[in-house]
Amino acid sequence: MAELENRLVNCFATVFPELDRQEIPSVAIGSLASWDSLAGITLISVVEEEFGVSISPDDMADLISFELILDYLRTLSPGNAA
Amino acid sequence: MTMKLAEALKVTQSVRSDASRLDIALLCGFTPLHLETFLRAQLCKLFPERNPHIHTGLYGDLIGNLGLATEVDTAVVVIEWADLDPRLGLRRVGGWEPSQLPDILNEVNRHYRVLRDSIDALARNTPVIVSFPTLPLIPISFTPMSRASEFTLELRSGVATLSAELSHIRGVKIVNTQLLDAPSSSHRLDVKSDLTTGFPYTLTHASALAEVFARLVLNRRPKKGLITDLDDTLWRGILGEVGSQGISWDLDNHSQIHALYQQLLHSLAASGTLIAVASRNDPSLVQEAFATRDLILHAIDVFPVEVHWGAKSESVARILSAWNISADDVVCVDDSAMDLAEIKVAHPGIECLVFPRENPQAAYELLERLRDLFGKDNISEEDGLRAASLRANADLQERIKQTSQEALGDFFRQIAGTIAISSQKQPLDSRALELVNKTNQFNLNGRRFQEVEWQKWIDAPDTVVAAITYRDKYGPLGKIAVIAGELMNGDSGKSRKLCIRTWVMSCRAFSRLIEYECIRWLFAKLDVDEMEFDFLPTARNAPMRDFLQQIRKAPAEPRCHLSREQFLRNCPESSHVIEEPANG
Repeated sequence: MAELENRLVNCFATVFPELDRQEIPSVAIGSLASWDSLAGITLISVVEEEFGVSISPDDMADLISFELILDYLRTLSPGNAA
Repeated sequence: MTMKLAEALKVTQSVRSDASRLDIALLCGFTPLHLETFLRAQLCKLFPERNPHIHTGLYGDLIGNLGLATEVDTAVVVIEWADLDPRLGLRRVGGWEPSQLPDILNEVNRHYRVLRDSIDALARNTPVIVSFPTLPLIPISFTPMSRASEFTLELRSGVATLSAELSHIRGVKIVNTQLLDAPSSSHRLDVKSDLTTGFPYTLTHASALAEVFARLVLNRRPKKGLITDLDDTLWRGILGEVGSQGISWDLDNHSQIHALYQQLLHSLAASGTLIAVASRNDPSLVQEAFATRDLILHAIDVFPVEVHWGAKSESVARILSAWNISADDVVCVDDSAMDLAEIKVAHPGIECLVFPRENPQAAYELLERLRDLFGKDNISEEDGLRAASLRANADLQERIKQTSQEALGDFFRQIAGTIAISSQKQPLDSRALELVNKTNQFNLNGRRFQEVEWQKWIDAPDTVVAAITYRDKYGPLGKIAVIAGELMNGDSGKSRKLCIRTWVMSCRAFSRLIEYECIRWLFAKLDVDEMEFDFLPTARNAPMRDFLQQIRKAPAEPRCHLSREQFLRNCPESSHVIEEPANG
């Protein structure tokens, strides 16, 4: 697993401890009952802290699955997602 | 030691499920979010045998939440400025106008009383920990950031009083905010230096403190005008693309920072700062937006509005001309760095600031910077008149242009100008001193004064001072001119003369012949035969130079003279009513 993806899995595992690491790459807001608005904000905060980025409120609304967050982080310049 | 959020979450997840409960009420007016997580994590670390449960209340209702805290082991009350009045927070835009500050203070004082009673009641059954505001105050007051305003000091004084009162109540503990300042205080106190030399400050702290002192001593002149862009600056969205109903400045559209910017601009306008718009846009759409959307910055706050598809530097040139002030006194705010660069090339003196629309933190820092640039020590009556009198002046100039030279005398009589002249020396007229220290164009020599220096000079027996207030049918202009000088024996030794050392007049009062009336009044009132002008050319006092040249029919030069006969020969006919206030 690539480092970026591994770090993101760690973020998800911290916020959603009930998930197995293997299932994390396929989770999305609609498929995970515990991914409510509060958990969503916490997840974004943990991701921001982990990757040293600031995610705008507009972008947050689109980050509704592991895959989308991973894609988003990949679009950032390497320096931003160090 | 600072804990990371991910670490805090892991700590809270490691709690033993069979541990006994520790019930803590976390009572605040904001969303407790990560504070709740961190509090729980810290409690887990400190009480490994317990299972902390954090109870929180409703958003925006600190007082109500205090009443809900029952049957908990401890209540933690977190007070922030917005709990004392929502206008002190960022999520509400109730206004930052100077006129609202007393009302905010009243509301805050009312909250202090309710909080004291509620916490007192809560503490009878539950240990209470209280934290008073830890966040910086928003840039709500009109003073520069380096100067604590009466308003902010009153707020902090209320906090100090309330916290001292609560500290006497059994069961109440007040958070020592000095502990929160610890990381920065370790950068302030130099123990080794204090012990060895008696100087307690670190170099960085001494440097920073000295900078604040110097800024306050300098008494920097506030900027006079702000030119703002519209799209993605005053509001979010491109008007031409989304229409007047598509632009936003609210929480729902993640564009609250634009509301705060509008609120600041409205507050600046109410404090006498000139606000103009320079936007590449469709004029009819802009008009529609101002007419149909309830902007916090009102259309009446803004003059002029330059909306077209041409270069912004041209708009800025027209705005500077309408305001009749120099580019050095103006700040441009725009989300486009390219537009700002184009303006800067044409008007190098202008301070250009980018509106960082994608970065709320940086945009908030811009608000603080603007408050600092436009901060004033006090607000005068004239500050409230400035924008209106500029509009009226533009109208007047247009009418003068349309009036023939021969008919000008009649025209000035028709506008019913009234000049009130006060020669009162005490108490200090701060508006007069402000005029002396900030007027550039109609200024005898550009001389500036510190307050003490000015008061000492005008208090001298031979010093004459006149402060001139003006109104006509276009409205009041307020105090617009100051003349001060010394009475001396004339060159012949027999007659007396007035040596004018300082003479300034606001550019808003140009074209009304007020300068002639001032001289006429001084000749009559002081019964002098001659005046001497301590004239010095400056980079910007051409209007004064031209006036002296016109009235003397000779070039303006240092210590130039004007006799009564010369004046009467060259001055236009009197057309104003002169009033001398009883106490003047």
